[in-house]
Amino acid sequence: MTALLERPSAVKRPPRAPGVKAGKRAPYGFIAPFFVVFGIFGLFPLVYTAYVSLTGWRADQPGSEHSLVGFDNYAKLLHDQFFWNALKNTVGIGILATVPQLLLALGVAHLLNYRVRGRTFFRMGVLLPNITSVAAVTIIFTQLFGRDFGLINWVLGLFGVHHIEWQAGTASSWIAIATIVTWRWTGYNALIYLASMQAIPFELYESAALDGASKWRQFWSVTVPLLRPTILFTIVVSTIGNLQLFGEPLLFSNSQSPTNGGSQHQFQTLAVYTYDQFWQKFKYGYGAAISWALFLVIVIMVGLALTLSRRLRGVSDE
Amino acid sequence: MRRAAQRSPGVYALLTLVVLVSLFPLYWSFVGASRDNAAISKVPPTLVPGGNLLHNLKTAFTDFDMRLALFNSFTVSTIVTISVVLTSTMAGFAFAKLRFKGRNGLLIVVIATMMVPTQLGIIPLYIMMANWFHLAGSIWSLILPAATSAFGVFFMRQYLVTALPVELLDAGRVDGCSTLQLYWHQVLPVARPAMAVLGMLTFLATWNDFFWPLVAMNPQNPTVQVALSAFAGGYVTDYSLVLTGALISTLPMLVVFAAMGRQILDGITQGALKG
Amino acid sequence: MSTALWRRSAAVAGAALLLAPIAACGDSSASGSSGSEKITLTVNLFGDFGYKDLYAKYSQEHPNITVKENVTDYGTHHKNLQAHLIANAGAADIEAIEIGQVAGFTGMAAKLVDFNSQGVDKNQWSEWRWRFGSSADGKQLFGVSTDMGGLGLCYRSDMFAKAGLPTKREDVSKLINSWDDYFTAGTQFLAKYPDKSVKWFDSASNVYNAILAQAPQASYDESGKVIVDSNPDLKKAWDLTVNAVQAGQSAAIPAFTPAWNTGFAKGQFATVTCPSWMMAEIKTNAPDTKGKWDMATIPGTHGGNWGGSFLTVPKSGKHTKEAVELAKWLTAPDQEEWLFKNKGNFPSDIALWDRPDIANYTDPFFTDAPVGQIFSDSAKNLKPQPYGPHSGDIGNAIGNALVSVEQKKATPDQAWTKALADVKNVTS
Repeated sequence: MTALLERPSAVKRPPRAPGVKAGKRAPYGFIAPFFVVFGIFGLFPLVYTAYVSLTGWRADQPGSEHSLVGFDNYAKLLHDQFFWNALKNTVGIGILATVPQLLLALGVAHLLNYRVRGRTFFRMGVLLPNITSVAAVTIIFTQLFGRDFGLINWVLGLFGVHHIEWQAGTASSWIAIATIVTWRWTGYNALIYLASMQAIPFELYESAALDGASKWRQFWSVTVPLLRPTILFTIVVSTIGNLQLFGEPLLFSNSQSPTNGGSQHQFQTLAVYTYDQFWQKFKYGYGAAISWALFLVIVIMVGLALTLSRRLRGVSDE
Repeated sequence: MRRAAQRSPGVYALLTLVVLVSLFPLYWSFVGASRDNAAISKVPPTLVPGGNLLHNLKTAFTDFDMRLALFNSFTVSTIVTISVVLTSTMAGFAFAKLRFKGRNGLLIVVIATMMVPTQLGIIPLYIMMANWFHLAGSIWSLILPAATSAFGVFFMRQYLVTALPVELLDAGRVDGCSTLQLYWHQVLPVARPAMAVLGMLTFLATWNDFFWPLVAMNPQNPTVQVALSAFAGGYVTDYSLVLTGALISTLPMLVVFAAMGRQILDGITQGALKG
Repeated sequence: MSTALWRRSAAVAGAALLLAPIAACGDSSASGSSGSEKITLTVNLFGDFGYKDLYAKYSQEHPNITVKENVTDYGTHHKNLQAHLIANAGAADIEAIEIGQVAGFTGMAAKLVDFNSQGVDKNQWSEWRWRFGSSADGKQLFGVSTDMGGLGLCYRSDMFAKAGLPTKREDVSKLINSWDDYFTAGTQFLAKYPDKSVKWFDSASNVYNAILAQAPQASYDESGKVIVDSNPDLKKAWDLTVNAVQAGQSAAIPAFTPAWNTGFAKGQFATVTCPSWMMAEIKTNAPDTKGKWDMATIPGTHGGNWGGSFLTVPKSGKHTKEAVELAKWLTAPDQEEWLFKNKGNFPSDIALWDRPDIANYTDPFFTDAPVGQIFSDSAKNLKPQPYGPHSGDIGNAIGNALVSVEQKKATPDQAWTKALADVKNVTS
């Protein structure tokens, strides 16, 4: 199998050397547009919200916007059972929604890579969920997951499973929301993987086949390693996206107070909790603090994901 | 060359299953839109379209300004897509292949900006748009903040890191190309398939964005998602109308997709380099 | 010009022509600065208030004024209003605020026109009502009250018949006089009604809210203190409802959801607490049940209210004077009467409750029940409760706790503890 691990020079490997030397100012010119736009439209809101998080601003208390409370809001966070509950929900749903989804996407991308007839049709088909609007998706899935008249319970009923009220339980609501998210984003990630898969030269598979590797082995030893930067990309982006999960839990709630995230906050994610405190309870200062805490959580989780993947990469390179 | 054409019934079956699952909710919303409110929660579920679609469509277009909404959404999505693809490819190239001081630090900043939750900035952004730039209610309040995308930069960078060989650039340098010429002649052709994918994804994301547009736009100058929220208003929600609105908002995407999708996806398959 | 060029310019010109009307549509902002200039007033609502025909009437009487209405969903509407008021830009000429959201706007009363100085007499409404639309010190009236719900008890007379319960509304009102009577009748219904999947009421929180509305104090006392944990009447309302839930009387369907709409259509419950706007809900959700519904008086003290809104005029608008006139007109007695008769929205204006047209109004869908009389009586029987800015959110917190009991995910005690924690989160 060592032939597999030797990479012919035709393969574009991620260069260890930092790249081509450029003129002194050119690179900065290339990245300038991004930073200019961010500087204007991204930076001010950030700074402003940071400032607000240091005040005790409540919309229902006139004049409170000028009351500086320092880090009180953040201290409050640490003792807030709802914050920790939302954190638990966010991480739980996040993992449920990311891991199976990316594995599924990898599998679907592999299928799409085959030269079957009508492959363009299939490739377009998997992106359909991403085209459908969030509002429509969630209405439909809330219907599908309905307790008395939903399609899913009806199908489960055929197998003798008692009607589940999906919004009621913690596990059931997490599974339902993760299903919606997975349905929506698998095709998207599959196409991203496909784009990179197409760049893998056929010779590698040929030589692996000649070495006696099965399709499965080829997949794991040829495709996946070369897909690493892309997989990393999707892990980071999916993690960031799923930690900020907002629309799906909000619209899944099937109640008069959707920002509650379920009757016992069983699926209230951090983004929904922020929204709830900010817009529903009018606690602007506290809501801003939670937003910043969410940012911190995302940074930590992404860091964890990257470290984990680097660890795994180290192992498989042995 | 790709693998030779294969006859794998297993692959066909799986792919068909995947597409059916992807398609079903869309189909179901079509069924819902063509019926009325009561039919939506029937069990066993109604799987056959009814005849109410035209009526719902008429209501959608007369009671709500869908034409303007569609036009606005289309304009915003197109401009943002062009801007994001261009700026992301530039920055992605720089981060992937150019050596410059502070490169790694700045890349981390880019990625960090992706982690900032959207809602964080709604009120200050609105204050900016309304009071400083007097753009509230105009589609430019949607376009400007979205003109660049950290996701796009990161995406192009990851793609170019693998797909753009240093040898190619070195050769160009030896020929005396400036960085800009390198970009034009070497980078863009290689980046094209990823640009196409990024363009498609950006267009979709912009089209479906609802959080910020709901605040920044007003119902007189809506985007499609803003108009959709109007459908859902009221004590009694007519879900068949909401689904009609959702269908209207999805249909242009389907059309664009059907027209351009093939080219984009074929571009992906050809996009690989020689070898 | 070469043919190709000609064709291209024609295409461009054609596209421009096609787009021009659309572009022009976007420029329909209000113009004019004085006198009888053409003015367009914008009204932002979160639902259908039934005003469309009224606008036409208003434009007839004021030819220079056109009214444009915009509707967004409940949550978005109030969220946007918050943002627009803070930024002092982007609000419409008239903005509606629902009674449950009012707390978030009392702090911004200064940005809304004070109706006290615009010739509006706040005493045309009950004190508890105008207090909701006033600033904390009661001095500024930033909202004029539109409709209120009132409260009756809607029931399916055909189901009552099958369960051996009386069907005529006078008999029903006599049988179900107190809340204990109500739950007793529920037990009887469940025992005798042949289809065991049909329950007594739709949702615990609706019943709880109706009971609580009749207490002398609810979530707040007169000094503005939150008394959820100490108010015995509140705990009694909770206990009564929770016991009924555990006895299986609740269909456990959250209100205003598709499942709830279906609940009406499929007849999953026999009674529902009925504010006046509920009539429109029932008619839309279950048109086939016409004539099967009737309405009795709400048990307990026979008083009640559910919902209602206020119209406000943001000072940032360009035509506040005309907007104030329109807001006053829309909430004037004649228009409120028209709205009740045509749309079912019960007026909050005290004087109207005794107007013969309203007091004698009956509804055929509900077997010609004298709905006008029922709602008027319920409004009059409503004892004022101390006002609290977060009543809506506190109600939601307890409502959610009730749902968790209905979902069998918490015991009543666990749910109560959670509710108290939620209430604390609202107010602190």
